[in-house]
Amino acid sequence: MISDYIPILVVFILAAGFAFAILALSHILGPRVKNSVKLSPYESGVDLVGKTRVRISIRYFLIALLFIIFDIEIVFLFPWAVVFKDFLSFGWTIFIEMAVFLFILGFGFLYVWKKGALEWE
Amino acid sequence: MDWNILSWLIWLPILGSAVIILIPREKADTIKFVAAVATGIQLLVAIVLWTKFDSSTVGFQFQEKVSWISSLNVHYSLGIDGLSLPMALLTALLSFLCIFVSWKIEKAIKGYFALFLLLDAGMMGVFLSLDFFLFYIFWEVVLLPMFFLIGMWGGSQREYAAIKFFLYTLAGSVLMFIAILALYFACGRTFDMIEIMAIAPTALAGKLWWGFESLKVIWILFFIAFAIKVPIFPFHTWLPLAHVEAPTAVSVILAGVLLKMGTYGILRISYPMLPDGAVWFAGALAVLAMINIIWGALCALAQTDLKKMVAYSSINHMGFVMLGMSAVVAAGAKNGTNLIAAEAGLNGAVLQMFNHGIITAMLFILVGVIYDRAHHRNIDGFGGLGVRMPIYTGIVALAFFAGLGLPGLSGFIGEAMCLIGAFPVYRGIVIVSVFGILLNAAYFLWAFQRIFLGKLNEKYADLPEINRREIFTLVPLAVLVIFLGIYPTPVLDVMKTTLSHLIEIVQSSSLLALQ
Amino acid sequence: MDLSLYFTRQDLWGILPEIVLLVGALIILSIELFARSQRAAMLGVGILSLVIAGGFASKNFGSSFILFQGMVTLNDYSTFFDLLYMTAGIVTMVISYNYLERKGGETRGEYFALILFATMGMMLMTRGNDLVIIFLGMELLSLSLYVLVGFLRHDVFSNESAIKYLLLGAFATGFFLFGAVLVYGTTGTTNFQHIASAITNNEILSDTLLSLGIGLLLVGFAFKVALVPFHMWSPDVYQGAPTSVTAFLCTAPKAAGFGALLKVFLVAFPALHADWQDLLWALALLTMIVGNISALVQTNVKRMLAFSSVTHAGYLCIGILVLNEMGVSAILFYLLVYSVMNLGAFGIISLLEKEEKGVNFKDYEGLASKHPWLSASLALFMLSLAGFPPTAGFVAKYTLFSSAISEGYIWLIIIAILNTLVSVYYYVRLIVNMYMRTSEETLVPFLHPLLSVVIFILAISIMFFGVLPGWLIDTVTQAARIYT
Repeated sequence: MISDYIPILVVFILAAGFAFAILALSHILGPRVKNSVKLSPYESGVDLVGKTRVRISIRYFLIALLFIIFDIEIVFLFPWAVVFKDFLSFGWTIFIEMAVFLFILGFGFLYVWKKGALEWE
Repeated sequence: MDWNILSWLIWLPILGSAVIILIPREKADTIKFVAAVATGIQLLVAIVLWTKFDSSTVGFQFQEKVSWISSLNVHYSLGIDGLSLPMALLTALLSFLCIFVSWKIEKAIKGYFALFLLLDAGMMGVFLSLDFFLFYIFWEVVLLPMFFLIGMWGGSQREYAAIKFFLYTLAGSVLMFIAILALYFACGRTFDMIEIMAIAPTALAGKLWWGFESLKVIWILFFIAFAIKVPIFPFHTWLPLAHVEAPTAVSVILAGVLLKMGTYGILRISYPMLPDGAVWFAGALAVLAMINIIWGALCALAQTDLKKMVAYSSINHMGFVMLGMSAVVAAGAKNGTNLIAAEAGLNGAVLQMFNHGIITAMLFILVGVIYDRAHHRNIDGFGGLGVRMPIYTGIVALAFFAGLGLPGLSGFIGEAMCLIGAFPVYRGIVIVSVFGILLNAAYFLWAFQRIFLGKLNEKYADLPEINRREIFTLVPLAVLVIFLGIYPTPVLDVMKTTLSHLIEIVQSSSLLALQ
Repeated sequence: MDLSLYFTRQDLWGILPEIVLLVGALIILSIELFARSQRAAMLGVGILSLVIAGGFASKNFGSSFILFQGMVTLNDYSTFFDLLYMTAGIVTMVISYNYLERKGGETRGEYFALILFATMGMMLMTRGNDLVIIFLGMELLSLSLYVLVGFLRHDVFSNESAIKYLLLGAFATGFFLFGAVLVYGTTGTTNFQHIASAITNNEILSDTLLSLGIGLLLVGFAFKVALVPFHMWSPDVYQGAPTSVTAFLCTAPKAAGFGALLKVFLVAFPALHADWQDLLWALALLTMIVGNISALVQTNVKRMLAFSSVTHAGYLCIGILVLNEMGVSAILFYLLVYSVMNLGAFGIISLLEKEEKGVNFKDYEGLASKHPWLSASLALFMLSLAGFPPTAGFVAKYTLFSSAISEGYIWLIIIAILNTLVSVYYYVRLIVNMYMRTSEETLVPFLHPLLSVVIFILAISIMFFGVLPGWLIDTVTQAARIYT
């Protein structure tokens, strides 16, 4: 039984081996040039302006989180839309289900909105 | 027994306690009145019970048995026999008198009397219950009000005394609970004490637990639990402390009734359920009794605090009870089937329990009387009070003489019977113990001399005489001391049949047969 | 294709209590959005939805259903727990009345909504018949609790405890999930009955991996119910959290954790009991002793109660060890009584707390003379926690211990009884402080009639179940019969 998983193990080993081999190869074969231009982040020649560690406003994270939450919910809508017509013949259950789902989602959106999480200032 | 007389004995004080809780705390007089009425009716019921009791039958009378927690096989089971009747009467009498002893309590009166009645109910329940579960609950119910009464209304070291008392006795009751569980599982899952009395000797015979005989394990567990309560040396250290710190009425109950719960437990539980254990342990019990007698007397002799002296005298007197109890082995063929000695010992023990309850109650009340006036209890701090307080001195003299076992007063008969009973079996121990009586006389008389005789201490030239309320609490006890000293038959008659039966049970132990 | 095969009306009726709670939570959030000042309305809706949900849940008593193709089972066992959670929820809401304001915070609508969500999560944990549902419920519960614990945003300790709880709770979840994955990998299913039949029919992939999986599940649960050595979070979290939340945290979620743990071991792994009893034995022993000794030296009452609840978890472990009808019913009885006692104790502490005062032993000196009823109730809860007759705590301990003795765990019980004796010291210490010491300034409780009534009911039920436990014992025996 556990032998069924051997192909996965093989793939795992191959993947790891390949990644390691490529890194090792470029390390061994690649020519090394060390000068200030080469070590700068943008080799194309753009000069740096300021530090790399910039403090990003916490609001970005909030927006990003909200985006992910509401975005992921869309995933449920696609399969629903595909089978909607077939299931409609069994009654309105399928519609009500999604309506409840969207209501809760909409309520969440309203909540977020009213709480001011979408306002920038 | 349609009117459930035993339940009334237990539930009257609880009812009184509930009523007191509902009375507003400003109405101090009403609270005291309710407490007095509740315990008064209880005392009347106890007296009626005494008159209705049939002392010629073996077994429990006035039984009540109702299923209580059916899924745990627990019953509300009460009953009374010649062993518990004197104890129940003692409890009712002392509780009633103690309400008047505590008449002058000023701090949190409502709580005091509510707890006091609860304590009364607990003690009564211990003496009347015939179901181990119920017994254990009452046993613990006694502990709790006592803890609060010492801890809240006690002297300067009350907190330490209360915690020490609580943890000590709780440790004992936990051991007892383990023993009860052991009996429960060994005897076919029943808490019924009568049933266990019948089953236990055979159920436990020959059973080994971790290489020890099961009955010895259980006996030791029970014994430590009861020994802490009695208290038997070396478990006695909580007692003097608790006594010194407790208010007068609580000391009276503590010495008068609570200590008897220990010896009562041994006679009610250990003896009939584990007769082999009783025989096996009798020698050790006699030795411990001797130590109690001598040690208690010597400690009492060394005290300067009057209350502590009386507390140690309790340890001494409880020693006589144990000595009488150990005499039960005289009934065996091995010891010449000396039934008379066994009966004398056991009857003496129970009589001594009753008498000591009365005498020690008197002593503690008297200590309380002088403490209320002089605000100290230092024996050497008085002197010549006999001139100032003749009535008080007279009552103290009576109590002291009863305490030291003067013939004609009740203390003598119990002690004498205990010694007579134990003499054929434990000759040496009895001879040593008799010196305990001598020591008793020494400390009582010495204390009496220092307090009441000699030149009057000028500080106390205007000490008021004992008042009517205090005399009222002492007179019934004094009358009993004199009456039972001359004519103890009423009490002895009540217990005789029950105790003879107990001797028969112990006699049946295989360890006593002549082999 | 027949839709009814997947989703029936019965399924919907079964989760009606959850639906009620969800609607209640949404209504509370709506009030929070549009009428923020209406605290009383939010509290009212919260309590009302718990009561209605409780009504729907109790209708199931006596019957049993399998819903969602075996994902959820409804029976007396789950109903008992449902009602326990709802009671705890109601009491928590009542004692939260104005509490956060007294501590300088603000009782917002989210507070009540989160309690409802947590209740839903717990219900799923004991209704679930599938590792996935248990996990789902556990997460719903934990996420709600993380927020509740940190609800005093301006209090450093509250924040600390929230972070600690979040981090360690995440660990626990990780352990649980990994365990569930290994069990799924070895048996091919997450359904309890199927796991059990796979084990009895010996259709498992690897014994080692299965054992590892069960071990990890146990660790996950041990974190959640705070068994030694996985208890480290509990004192800090219990102490730092708002007391009203602590009352909830140490009662209902603990019951849910034990309920789910019991169900997993009773239904999914009964065949492996022999393999796990030594481990549980050691866990029970360690938990009792460490919890007890730690509680002895505390000066903070909340922390003392936290360690005491660790100790109680140790006692409860003994019941899992027994694993028969007596043991399960004893656990149910104990959990209910334990919840009532702790809700009462923490409830009273929350009433007495004011700014920095009210959580140390010293603050309680002389309380009895000023507030006799409150002190008497607190003393009663302490005595019941110590297992003193005739309180319900004694009957709970008795049933638990005697069930273990009849299965032969004698030494464990002797140690447990001795532990009980030690525990008396720290419970009685609070009583000594209240009754036998005097102090110039005593605590001033916040007494609202509603709060007094709830505390009074809790105290009365402790006495009632101590003196007349028959009815409750019969109920829990019926609830326990399902799985044994």
